Amino acid sequence: MDSYYLTCRSLTYAQRVSRVLTAARIRNIIVRTPQKMSAEGCGYAIRVSPSSYADAMNALQSAALPPKRVYRMSAGGLFEEVRR
Amino acid sequence: MIYLDAAATSFQKPASVEKAVLQALRSYSSPGRGGHKYAMAAAEKLYELRERAARLFNVADVERVAVTFNATHGLNIAIRSLVPPGGRAVISGYEHNSVLRPLHALGADITVADCPVFDYAAAIRAFDRATAPRPDAVIINHVSNVFGFELPVCEVAELCRVRGIPLIVDASQSAGVLEVDAEGLGADFIAMPGHKGLYGPQGTGLLIASDKARPLLYGGSGSDSKSPDMPPYLPDMLEAGTHNMPGIAGLCAGLAFVEKTGTDKIAAHERALAAGLIRGLRSIRGVRVFAAPDMEHQTGVVSFELDAMGSEEAAGKLADLGFALRAGLHCAPLAHRTVGTAERGTVRASVSAFNTEREIGSFLDAVELTARGAQ
Repeated sequence: MDSYYLTCRSLTYAQRVSRVLTAARIRNIIVRTPQKMSAEGCGYAIRVSPSSYADAMNALQSAALPPKRVYRMSAGGLFEEVRR
Repeated sequence: MIYLDAAATSFQKPASVEKAVLQALRSYSSPGRGGHKYAMAAAEKLYELRERAARLFNVADVERVAVTFNATHGLNIAIRSLVPPGGRAVISGYEHNSVLRPLHALGADITVADCPVFDYAAAIRAFDRATAPRPDAVIINHVSNVFGFELPVCEVAELCRVRGIPLIVDASQSAGVLEVDAEGLGADFIAMPGHKGLYGPQGTGLLIASDKARPLLYGGSGSDSKSPDMPPYLPDMLEAGTHNMPGIAGLCAGLAFVEKTGTDKIAAHERALAAGLIRGLRSIRGVRVFAAPDMEHQTGVVSFELDAMGSEEAAGKLADLGFALRAGLHCAPLAHRTVGTAERGTVRASVSAFNTEREIGSFLDAVELTARGAQ
Protein backbone atom coordinates (compact mmCIF):
# COMPACT_ATOMS: atom_id res chain seq x y z
CA MET A 1 0.00 0.00 0.00
CA ASP A 2 1.21 3.53 -0.70
CA SER A 3 2.23 5.69 2.23
CA TYR A 4 3.56 9.13 2.98
CA TYR A 5 6.73 9.77 4.94
CA LEU A 6 7.02 13.07 6.78
CA THR A 7 10.70 13.33 7.67
CA CYS A 8 11.64 15.14 10.86
CA ARG A 9 14.80 16.88 12.00
CA SER A 10 14.98 14.83 15.21
CA LEU A 11 13.33 12.03 17.13
CA THR A 12 11.93 14.54 19.64
CA TYR A 13 10.44 16.57 16.80
CA ALA A 14 8.94 13.40 15.33
CA GLN A 15 7.42 12.64 18.71
CA ARG A 16 5.88 16.11 18.86
CA VAL A 17 4.47 15.60 15.37
CA SER A 18 3.12 12.20 16.31
CA ARG A 19 1.39 13.62 19.41
CA VAL A 20 -0.31 16.31 17.31
CA LEU A 21 -1.52 13.79 14.73
CA THR A 22 -2.74 11.37 17.37
CA ALA A 23 -4.64 14.18 19.10
CA ALA A 24 -6.26 14.91 15.72
CA ARG A 25 -7.19 11.20 15.49
CA ILE A 26 -4.88 10.62 12.55
CA ARG A 27 -3.22 7.22 12.58
CA ASN A 28 0.53 7.53 12.33
CA ILE A 29 3.68 5.72 13.23
CA ILE A 30 7.21 6.89 13.98
CA VAL A 31 9.71 5.02 11.80
CA ARG A 32 13.36 5.29 10.93
CA THR A 33 13.71 7.40 7.84
CA PRO A 34 14.48 5.14 4.85
CA GLN A 35 18.06 5.77 3.81
CA LYS A 36 17.22 7.08 0.37
CA MET A 37 15.07 9.82 1.88
CA SER A 38 17.68 10.99 4.31
CA ALA A 39 20.49 13.03 2.85
CA GLU A 40 21.73 14.01 6.34
CA GLY A 41 22.12 10.49 7.70
CA CYS A 42 20.08 8.81 10.41
CA GLY A 43 16.72 10.24 11.31
CA TYR A 44 13.07 9.62 12.00
CA ALA A 45 9.93 10.12 10.00
CA ILE A 46 6.18 9.84 10.49
CA ARG A 47 4.35 7.46 8.23
CA VAL A 48 0.71 8.13 7.35
CA SER A 49 -1.65 6.65 4.80
CA PRO A 50 -2.63 8.51 1.62
CA SER A 51 -6.17 8.90 2.94
CA SER A 52 -4.83 10.71 6.04
CA TYR A 53 -2.17 12.78 4.32
CA ALA A 54 -4.14 15.97 3.70
CA ASP A 55 -5.58 16.00 7.21
CA ALA A 56 -2.14 15.34 8.64
CA MET A 57 -0.61 18.27 6.78
CA ASN A 58 -3.45 20.54 7.88
CA ALA A 59 -3.02 19.49 11.50
CA LEU A 60 0.72 20.11 11.36
CA GLN A 61 0.24 23.48 9.71
CA SER A 62 -2.14 24.48 12.50
CA ALA A 63 0.40 23.36 15.09
CA ALA A 64 3.26 25.14 13.30
CA LEU A 65 5.16 21.85 13.08
CA PRO A 66 6.14 21.45 9.44
CA PRO A 67 7.95 18.26 8.42
CA LYS A 68 11.41 18.63 6.95
CA ARG A 69 10.45 16.87 3.73
CA VAL A 70 7.55 14.75 2.51
CA TYR A 71 7.85 11.64 0.36
CA ARG A 72 5.25 9.41 -1.22
CA MET A 73 6.27 5.79 -1.38
CA SER A 74 4.50 3.26 -3.56
CA ALA A 75 3.80 -0.32 -2.55
CA GLY A 76 6.67 -1.35 -4.83
CA GLY A 77 9.14 0.74 -2.84
CA LEU A 78 9.49 3.57 -5.34
CA PHE A 79 9.32 7.00 -3.81
CA GLU A 80 9.20 10.61 -4.84
CA GLU A 81 9.45 13.83 -2.91
CA VAL A 82 6.19 15.73 -2.62
CA ARG A 83 6.69 19.38 -3.39
CA ARG A 84 4.67 21.60 -1.08
CA MET B 1 19.54 6.26 60.50
CA ILE B 2 17.44 9.39 60.11
CA TYR B 3 18.30 11.08 56.85
CA LEU B 4 18.50 14.88 56.94
CA ASP B 5 20.70 15.50 53.89
CA ALA B 6 18.13 15.97 51.14
CA ALA B 7 19.92 19.09 49.90
CA ALA B 8 22.74 16.81 48.75
CA THR B 9 20.54 13.96 47.51
CA SER B 10 17.07 12.90 48.49
CA PHE B 11 17.85 9.44 49.82
CA GLN B 12 14.30 8.28 50.45
CA LYS B 13 12.65 7.81 47.06
CA PRO B 14 9.11 6.91 46.15
CA ALA B 15 8.77 3.15 45.57
CA SER B 16 7.75 3.93 42.00
CA VAL B 17 11.25 5.32 41.29
CA GLU B 18 13.00 2.10 42.26
CA LYS B 19 10.48 0.10 40.24
CA ALA B 20 10.97 2.31 37.18
CA VAL B 21 14.76 1.96 37.32
CA LEU B 22 14.52 -1.82 37.40
CA GLN B 23 11.90 -1.83 34.67
CA ALA B 24 14.16 0.30 32.47
CA LEU B 25 16.98 -2.23 32.69
CA ARG B 26 14.63 -4.88 31.41
CA SER B 27 12.71 -2.87 28.80
CA TYR B 28 14.75 -0.11 27.23
CA SER B 29 17.75 0.15 24.96
CA SER B 30 18.81 3.53 23.53
CA PRO B 31 16.43 6.23 22.30
CA GLY B 32 17.26 7.54 18.84
CA ARG B 33 19.46 4.56 18.06
CA GLY B 34 17.05 2.32 16.20
CA GLY B 35 13.48 1.66 15.23
CA HIS B 36 12.99 -1.63 17.08
CA LYS B 37 10.67 -1.93 20.04
CA TYR B 38 13.32 -1.56 22.75
CA ALA B 39 14.70 1.64 21.22
CA MET B 40 11.22 3.05 20.62
CA ALA B 41 10.10 2.16 24.15
CA ALA B 42 13.13 4.06 25.44
CA ALA B 43 12.29 6.99 23.17
CA GLU B 44 8.73 7.04 24.49
CA LYS B 45 9.94 7.12 28.11
CA LEU B 46 12.39 9.90 27.35
CA TYR B 47 9.67 11.92 25.69
CA GLU B 48 7.39 11.32 28.67
CA LEU B 49 10.12 12.79 30.87
CA ARG B 50 10.37 15.88 28.67
CA GLU B 51 6.59 16.28 28.68
CA ARG B 52 6.33 15.94 32.45
CA ALA B 53 9.14 18.42 32.98
CA ALA B 54 7.62 20.85 30.48
CA ARG B 55 4.32 20.67 32.36
CA LEU B 56 5.84 21.04 35.83
CA PHE B 57 8.13 23.92 34.87
CA ASN B 58 5.81 25.59 32.35
CA VAL B 59 7.97 25.14 29.26
CA ALA B 60 5.97 25.73 26.08
CA ASP B 61 8.23 23.64 23.84
CA VAL B 62 9.32 20.16 24.98
CA GLU B 63 12.37 20.40 22.73
CA ARG B 64 13.78 22.93 25.22
CA VAL B 65 13.97 20.25 27.89
CA ALA B 66 17.41 18.63 27.66
CA VAL B 67 18.59 15.73 29.76
CA THR B 68 21.86 16.18 31.64
CA PHE B 69 23.96 14.18 34.10
CA ASN B 70 23.27 16.60 36.95
CA ALA B 71 22.80 20.32 37.60
CA THR B 72 26.53 20.95 37.32
CA HIS B 73 26.50 19.58 33.77
CA GLY B 74 23.59 21.87 32.90
CA LEU B 75 25.25 24.89 34.46
CA ASN B 76 28.46 24.20 32.53
CA ILE B 77 26.47 24.09 29.28
CA ALA B 78 24.68 27.31 30.19
CA ILE B 79 27.80 29.20 31.22
CA ARG B 80 29.82 28.05 28.21
CA SER B 81 26.95 29.09 25.94
CA LEU B 82 26.68 32.62 27.29
CA VAL B 83 29.99 33.70 28.80
CA PRO B 84 32.96 33.99 26.43
CA PRO B 85 36.53 33.55 27.73
CA GLY B 86 37.31 36.65 29.77
CA GLY B 87 33.66 37.70 29.71
CA ARG B 88 31.76 39.24 32.59
CA ALA B 89 29.19 37.51 34.78
CA VAL B 90 27.12 38.83 37.67
CA ILE B 91 26.33 36.20 40.28
CA SER B 92 24.70 36.09 43.70
CA GLY B 93 26.76 35.75 46.85
CA TYR B 94 25.28 32.29 47.33
CA GLU B 95 26.52 30.43 44.26
CA HIS B 96 27.85 26.90 44.32
CA ASN B 97 31.20 25.80 42.89
CA SER B 98 29.22 24.47 39.91
CA VAL B 99 28.95 28.14 38.91
CA LEU B 100 32.21 29.53 40.30
CA ARG B 101 34.53 26.92 38.81
CA PRO B 102 33.26 27.08 35.21
CA LEU B 103 33.50 30.87 35.38
CA HIS B 104 36.99 30.69 36.84
CA ALA B 105 38.03 28.26 34.08
CA LEU B 106 36.88 30.82 31.52
CA GLY B 107 38.87 33.56 33.23
CA ALA B 108 35.63 35.46 33.65
CA ASP B 109 35.35 38.79 35.39
CA ILE B 110 32.95 37.93 38.21
CA THR B 111 30.87 40.55 39.97
CA VAL B 112 29.17 39.30 43.12
CA ALA B 113 25.79 40.88 43.86
CA ASP B 114 26.34 40.66 47.58
CA CYS B 115 23.67 40.86 50.27
CA PRO B 116 23.12 39.69 53.84
CA VAL B 117 21.52 36.30 54.19
CA PHE B 118 17.69 36.36 54.09
CA ASP B 119 17.66 40.03 53.06
CA TYR B 120 15.52 39.64 49.95
CA ALA B 121 15.21 43.36 49.23
CA ALA B 122 18.96 43.88 49.55
CA ALA B 123 19.53 41.08 47.02
CA ILE B 124 17.34 42.86 44.47
CA ARG B 125 19.21 46.12 45.02
CA ALA B 126 22.55 44.33 44.69
CA PHE B 127 21.63 42.84 41.32
CA ASP B 128 20.27 46.18 40.18
CA ARG B 129 23.63 47.84 40.93
CA ALA B 130 25.81 45.01 39.64
CA THR B 131 24.15 44.70 36.24
CA ALA B 132 25.19 48.16 35.10
CA PRO B 133 27.19 48.02 32.90
CA ARG B 134 25.56 45.08 31.18
CA PRO B 135 27.31 41.73 31.79
CA ASP B 136 27.37 38.74 29.45
CA ALA B 137 25.14 36.84 31.85
CA VAL B 138 23.50 36.95 35.24
CA ILE B 139 23.56 33.72 37.24
CA ILE B 140 21.35 33.33 40.26
CA ASN B 141 20.82 30.49 42.67
CA HIS B 142 17.09 30.13 43.34
CA VAL B 143 17.79 28.77 46.84
CA SER B 144 21.10 28.70 48.69
CA ASN B 145 22.22 25.11 49.22
CA VAL B 146 23.84 26.18 52.49
CA PHE B 147 21.30 28.44 54.17
CA GLY B 148 18.02 27.66 52.42
CA PHE B 149 17.66 31.36 51.53
CA GLU B 150 15.23 31.83 48.66
CA LEU B 151 16.72 34.50 46.40
CA PRO B 152 14.63 36.98 44.37
CA VAL B 153 14.64 35.04 41.11
CA CYS B 154 11.46 36.60 39.71
CA GLU B 155 12.62 40.16 40.39
CA VAL B 156 16.08 39.51 38.96
CA ALA B 157 14.53 37.84 35.91
CA GLU B 158 12.41 40.95 35.33
CA LEU B 159 15.47 43.15 35.69
CA CYS B 160 17.34 41.01 33.15
CA ARG B 161 14.40 41.09 30.76
CA VAL B 162 14.19 44.89 30.88
CA ARG B 163 17.95 45.27 30.39
CA GLY B 164 18.30 42.50 27.81
CA ILE B 165 20.72 40.46 29.92
CA PRO B 166 20.85 36.67 29.46
CA LEU B 167 19.88 34.83 32.65
CA ILE B 168 20.87 31.47 34.11
CA VAL B 169 18.91 30.09 37.06
CA ASP B 170 20.33 27.36 39.27
CA ALA B 171 17.23 25.55 40.49
CA SER B 172 19.13 22.81 42.30
CA GLN B 173 17.38 23.35 45.62
CA SER B 174 14.07 24.64 44.31
CA ALA B 175 12.98 22.26 41.55
CA GLY B 176 10.16 20.16 42.95
CA VAL B 177 9.67 22.44 45.95
CA LEU B 178 9.11 26.00 44.74
CA GLU B 179 7.44 27.23 41.60
CA VAL B 180 9.91 27.28 38.71
CA ASP B 181 8.05 28.91 35.85
CA ALA B 182 10.28 28.83 32.77
CA GLU B 183 8.03 30.93 30.54
CA GLY B 184 7.31 33.38 33.35
CA LEU B 185 10.97 33.85 34.19
CA GLY B 186 12.08 34.02 30.59
CA ALA B 187 15.51 32.70 31.61
CA ASP B 188 17.82 31.44 28.89
CA PHE B 189 18.76 28.46 31.02
CA ILE B 190 17.35 26.77 34.10
CA ALA B 191 19.51 23.94 35.41
CA MET B 192 18.40 21.39 37.97
CA PRO B 193 19.42 18.00 39.29
CA GLY B 194 17.12 15.01 39.09
CA HIS B 195 18.23 13.49 42.37
CA LYS B 196 17.17 16.10 44.92
CA GLY B 197 13.65 17.56 44.97
CA LEU B 198 12.59 15.63 41.89
CA TYR B 199 13.32 12.30 43.63
CA GLY B 200 15.09 10.70 40.67
CA PRO B 201 18.31 8.67 40.82
CA GLN B 202 21.77 10.21 41.11
CA GLY B 203 23.38 11.01 37.77
CA THR B 204 20.30 12.68 36.34
CA GLY B 205 19.46 16.30 35.63
CA LEU B 206 17.47 18.60 33.41
CA LEU B 207 18.38 21.76 31.57
CA ILE B 208 15.69 24.02 30.21
CA ALA B 209 17.57 25.68 27.40
CA SER B 210 17.02 28.45 24.90
CA ASP B 211 18.25 28.83 21.34
CA LYS B 212 21.39 30.43 22.78
CA ALA B 213 22.56 26.93 23.78
CA ARG B 214 25.83 25.61 22.43
CA PRO B 215 27.14 22.03 22.70
CA LEU B 216 29.47 21.16 25.54
CA LEU B 217 30.00 17.52 24.59
CA TYR B 218 30.39 16.27 21.04
CA GLY B 219 29.43 12.85 19.75
CA GLY B 220 26.63 10.71 18.43
CA SER B 221 23.10 12.04 18.70
CA GLY B 222 21.24 9.61 16.44
CA SER B 223 20.46 12.47 14.05
CA ASP B 224 22.18 14.27 11.14
CA SER B 225 24.80 11.53 11.30
CA LYS B 226 26.64 12.58 8.14
CA SER B 227 27.50 15.97 9.58
CA PRO B 228 30.74 16.37 11.54
CA ASP B 229 28.98 18.96 13.69
CA MET B 230 26.45 18.49 16.44
CA PRO B 231 22.87 19.07 15.22
CA PRO B 232 22.05 22.79 15.45
CA TYR B 233 18.73 22.18 17.24
CA LEU B 234 17.54 21.23 20.71
CA PRO B 235 17.63 18.85 22.46
CA ASP B 236 19.98 16.79 20.25
CA MET B 237 22.63 19.53 20.34
CA LEU B 238 23.07 18.99 24.08
CA GLU B 239 22.63 15.23 24.33
CA ALA B 240 25.70 13.57 22.80
CA GLY B 241 26.15 9.92 23.64
CA THR B 242 23.93 7.21 25.03
CA HIS B 243 21.23 8.31 27.45
CA ASN B 244 21.04 7.08 31.04
CA MET B 245 17.76 5.23 30.58
CA PRO B 246 17.49 3.74 34.08
CA GLY B 247 18.08 7.24 35.43
CA ILE B 248 15.62 8.81 33.02
CA ALA B 249 12.91 6.28 33.88
CA GLY B 250 13.52 6.83 37.59
CA LEU B 251 13.45 10.60 37.18
CA CYS B 252 10.24 10.31 35.22
CA ALA B 253 8.69 8.44 38.14
CA GLY B 254 10.07 11.06 40.52
CA LEU B 255 8.46 13.84 38.50
CA ALA B 256 5.18 11.92 38.53
CA PHE B 257 5.43 11.75 42.33
CA VAL B 258 6.05 15.50 42.59
CA GLU B 259 3.20 16.27 40.18
CA LYS B 260 0.81 14.02 42.06
CA THR B 261 1.80 15.29 45.50
CA GLY B 262 2.03 18.92 44.40
CA THR B 263 4.94 21.28 44.95
CA ASP B 264 2.77 23.48 47.20
CA LYS B 265 2.12 20.57 49.52
CA ILE B 266 5.77 19.50 49.51
CA ALA B 267 6.91 23.06 50.19
CA ALA B 268 4.42 23.50 53.05
CA HIS B 269 5.54 20.22 54.60
CA GLU B 270 9.21 21.10 54.35
CA ARG B 271 8.69 24.63 55.68
CA ALA B 272 6.72 23.30 58.64
CA LEU B 273 9.52 20.87 59.46
CA ALA B 274 12.12 23.60 59.04
CA ALA B 275 10.16 25.95 61.29
CA GLY B 276 10.08 23.33 64.05
CA LEU B 277 13.75 22.59 63.53
CA ILE B 278 14.75 26.25 63.68
CA ARG B 279 12.60 26.91 66.75
CA GLY B 280 14.11 23.92 68.51
CA LEU B 281 17.71 24.74 67.56
CA ARG B 282 17.27 28.33 68.77
CA SER B 283 16.22 27.05 72.17
CA ILE B 284 19.37 24.97 72.65
CA ARG B 285 22.20 26.65 74.51
CA GLY B 286 25.46 26.73 72.59
CA VAL B 287 23.82 26.47 69.18
CA ARG B 288 23.78 29.26 66.61
CA VAL B 289 21.24 28.97 63.82
CA PHE B 290 21.44 30.75 60.47
CA ALA B 291 17.79 31.15 59.63
CA ALA B 292 15.27 33.75 58.57
CA PRO B 293 13.89 35.62 61.59
CA ASP B 294 10.28 35.02 60.56
CA MET B 295 10.65 32.08 58.13
CA GLU B 296 10.22 34.46 55.20
CA HIS B 297 12.28 33.23 52.23
CA GLN B 298 13.40 30.24 54.28
CA THR B 299 13.17 26.77 52.77
CA GLY B 300 13.83 23.32 54.20
CA VAL B 301 17.62 23.74 54.29
CA VAL B 302 18.94 24.89 57.68
CA SER B 303 22.52 25.64 58.69
CA PHE B 304 23.71 25.84 62.27
CA GLU B 305 26.85 25.57 64.34
CA LEU B 306 27.78 24.47 67.83
CA ASP B 307 29.89 26.96 69.77
CA ALA B 308 32.01 24.25 71.32
CA MET B 309 33.08 22.28 68.27
CA GLY B 310 33.75 22.47 64.56
CA SER B 311 31.10 21.59 62.02
CA GLU B 312 32.67 18.31 60.92
CA GLU B 313 33.13 17.19 64.51
CA ALA B 314 29.52 18.06 65.34
CA ALA B 315 28.17 16.24 62.26
CA GLY B 316 30.36 13.26 63.15
CA LYS B 317 28.95 13.10 66.67
CA LEU B 318 25.41 13.42 65.34
CA ALA B 319 26.11 10.68 62.80
CA ASP B 320 27.15 8.45 65.70
CA LEU B 321 23.75 9.18 67.21
CA GLY B 322 22.02 8.14 63.98
CA PHE B 323 21.60 11.29 61.89
CA ALA B 324 22.84 11.83 58.33
CA LEU B 325 23.84 15.48 57.86
CA ARG B 326 26.37 17.43 55.89
CA ALA B 327 29.05 19.66 57.37
CA GLY B 328 31.80 21.94 56.09
CA LEU B 329 31.51 24.31 53.16
CA HIS B 330 28.96 22.36 51.09
CA CYS B 331 30.87 23.08 47.85
CA ALA B 332 29.78 26.69 48.28
CA PRO B 333 32.67 28.65 49.80
CA LEU B 334 31.26 31.89 48.41
CA ALA B 335 28.05 31.48 50.39
CA HIS B 336 30.07 30.89 53.55
CA ARG B 337 32.25 33.93 52.85
CA THR B 338 29.11 36.01 52.36
CA VAL B 339 27.73 34.99 55.74
CA GLY B 340 31.06 34.86 57.57
CA THR B 341 31.17 31.11 58.19
CA ALA B 342 34.00 30.24 55.80
CA GLU B 343 36.46 29.43 58.61
CA ARG B 344 34.41 26.79 60.39
CA GLY B 345 31.72 25.91 57.92
CA THR B 346 28.31 24.92 59.22
CA VAL B 347 26.30 21.81 59.96
CA ARG B 348 23.43 21.53 57.52
CA ALA B 349 20.16 19.71 58.06
CA SER B 350 17.86 19.50 55.07
CA VAL B 351 14.50 17.82 54.76
CA SER B 352 12.43 16.21 52.03
CA ALA B 353 8.83 15.14 51.58
CA PHE B 354 9.63 11.95 53.45
CA ASN B 355 10.83 13.45 56.74
CA THR B 356 8.51 13.67 59.73
CA GLU B 357 7.98 15.88 62.80
CA ARG B 358 8.97 12.96 64.97
CA GLU B 359 12.34 12.72 63.19
CA ILE B 360 12.91 16.42 63.78
CA GLY B 361 12.06 15.95 67.46
CA SER B 362 14.58 13.10 67.76
CA PHE B 363 17.18 15.19 65.98
CA LEU B 364 16.71 18.14 68.33
CA ASP B 365 17.16 15.81 71.31
CA ALA B 366 20.41 14.59 69.77
CA VAL B 367 21.67 18.15 69.12
CA GLU B 368 20.87 19.10 72.71
CA LEU B 369 22.73 16.05 73.98
CA THR B 370 25.72 16.86 71.78
CA ALA B 371 25.78 20.52 72.77
CA ARG B 372 25.44 19.70 76.46
CA GLY B 373 28.15 17.07 76.28
CA ALA B 374 30.52 19.58 74.75
CA GLN B 375 30.07 22.18 77.47
